[in-house]
Amino acid sequence: MDQASAVDIRKVNKFYGPFQALKNIDLTIPPGKVTCLIGPSGSGKSTLLRCINFLEEYDSGEIRIDGQLIGYDAPGKKSSGRKLREMRRGIGMVFQQFNLWPHMTAQENVAEGLIRVRGLPKADASARAADALRKVGLGDKMANHPARLSGGQQQRVAIARAIAMEPRLMLFDEPTSALDPELVGEVLTVMKTLAGEGMTMVVVTHEMGFAAHVADQVAFMEAGELVAVDAPDRILHQPQDLRIQSFLRTYHERNAF
Amino acid sequence: MFSIQTFLDAFGPLAMAARYTLLVSGLGIALGLVIGALICAAALSKSRALRRFAAIWVSFLRGVPLLVQLLLMFYLLPVVGINVPALAAAVITVGICASAYIAEIWRGAIGALPPGQTEAAAAIGIAPTTIWTRIVLPQAVVMSLPALVNELILLVKASSLVSVVGIMEVTRASQAQAATTFRPLEVYLAAACIYLAINLCLAGIGRWLEHRAAV
Amino acid sequence: MEWSVFQQYGPMLLRGFGVTIFCWLMGTVLAMGLGLIIALMQRYGPRPLRWLLQVYIEVIRGTPFLVQLFVLYYGGPLVGLRLDALPAGLLGLTIYGSPYFAEIFRSGFNAVPVGQLEAARAIGMSETNIIRRILLPLGLVSALPALVNFSIILTKETVILSIITVPELMYQVSRMSTETFRYLEANLVLALFFWGLVETISRVGRRLEARITRHLIERV
Repeated sequence: MDQASAVDIRKVNKFYGPFQALKNIDLTIPPGKVTCLIGPSGSGKSTLLRCINFLEEYDSGEIRIDGQLIGYDAPGKKSSGRKLREMRRGIGMVFQQFNLWPHMTAQENVAEGLIRVRGLPKADASARAADALRKVGLGDKMANHPARLSGGQQQRVAIARAIAMEPRLMLFDEPTSALDPELVGEVLTVMKTLAGEGMTMVVVTHEMGFAAHVADQVAFMEAGELVAVDAPDRILHQPQDLRIQSFLRTYHERNAF
Repeated sequence: MFSIQTFLDAFGPLAMAARYTLLVSGLGIALGLVIGALICAAALSKSRALRRFAAIWVSFLRGVPLLVQLLLMFYLLPVVGINVPALAAAVITVGICASAYIAEIWRGAIGALPPGQTEAAAAIGIAPTTIWTRIVLPQAVVMSLPALVNELILLVKASSLVSVVGIMEVTRASQAQAATTFRPLEVYLAAACIYLAINLCLAGIGRWLEHRAAV
Repeated sequence: MEWSVFQQYGPMLLRGFGVTIFCWLMGTVLAMGLGLIIALMQRYGPRPLRWLLQVYIEVIRGTPFLVQLFVLYYGGPLVGLRLDALPAGLLGLTIYGSPYFAEIFRSGFNAVPVGQLEAARAIGMSETNIIRRILLPLGLVSALPALVNFSIILTKETVILSIITVPELMYQVSRMSTETFRYLEANLVLALFFWGLVETISRVGRRLEARITRHLIERV
């Protein structure tokens, strides 16, 4: 890792019509650390994550990556598509639904960005794609189309697609929520390795175990508000806020069955 | 120059002729619904011969251009000893042609019902005929309504072809009008407007039905 | 029935067959191209343009092909558009088919999961690359059955060109039958010919579909 990015989120608001999805969010994502966003569904954590690479536009406030404002040149003035694309090159994203391109093999999926965005020659891109796939343990599945891979394998290809671009920041949007329980482990293992290498990671997740063991800080959101940010222990084991207590109670009750 | 007056004057006679356009497409779809139901029943029957017949019927009528079907019917009917007025022959041809499409619409609607529904009905001991009349058909008919309206729109447009066998519907009337006024552009545009008006009305009805079915 | 007439008129019918196939292929390609352009402009164009295109689609889809041909072929000269029957017929087929193809492409594009486009956006791909590499290939695949289906409809529409004297197969068959009075045989053969043609095209279309989608279907 040459240098990991830091993200500064300041007073970010986001509206869908009259509905306020994000309310005055302030959050600092330190470089080289793992930040987990947790909270009930509909709390705005995915929306916040998607604002970080401007897949979702925020209406006011600032999101800075290494000091550079994303999506806007100045408050109220949107940046050009080219500038936005350049910033996005440094940000990897992994989606809940994998979103692999079904008409390309695993290797082609990973190489596509290297060819089209980084402008690498095809052979170079293929070699790097192969490296990335080996890194996520899929060296033997490179020629498979997504339809021939399990959900866990597809998600690992998606991670390879992101890391092949050599990002300094990785965003994970519920990366294991669409997986059968027995496939969750292989994806979390890859993510843990990545964290160990010092990648800045922002992870929206329902995997409290991952949050407890891998995260450096945990942010709890509810109803568009950032309720608390703290060390995993203090959020997950000694929560002060009643909303967090109730969320964790529901979570543990569900898992008790 | 484009003459607005000629354009507007054309609407009178063409609107009168629109009665025949509506007659041919209206009777055509009525006939198509009846034959289509029979063909659909044949396609879903247990008899292999009936299924085969339905498949050939649908494939032939969907494979042969309506214009060819019209002429075929015109020359075939007298040969087999049936002498009917041109209008009747036209309606029969349009209806038979539509039956193939309608049979497929209904087969699709019946096939789209979740099989769990009939299984649930059978599981509590409802007789097969009752399942059909009370559960399958009512839903299939409602579901197929938008597609049937769409078929009617297609027939309104297709009915322009019966002009070649001399039925004085909108297209034929516009040809006559164009010949007497020497203003084909205005007259044919007027004809296009009449078709468009009819079809926009039908499309509106179709959207309303679709909306109702969705609720 | 008398079949020997087909020998005598063979070359003429063959020419007609050639014109029919030519009209069908050219008409399909041109209409498909125009339809694709319309669909892309409706997706990415400015609002007034999209609105205008929607009007075009409604008007063309609301009127019979025959009337469109009459406007073009007989009405065209009044506004300086003087075309021979064949080019007029091709232009007519292109205009007539384009809105249907546009709608087919539009729903094909809509069938591409938004997430797959977002994934491309998230790694910084440019919008043109996204269209070329993701939206078009995937949209075309999901549009394929409908594209084949509508091309088949266009084969049948080519006979209508005979009414504006395009010398395609039906035109030649009518000529033959007025000269020989073999109306029934001629039209019967014409019907069988189209039946065979349409069946063949749909069979080829299904095979093509299976080939193209073979990677996209989940196999466990």
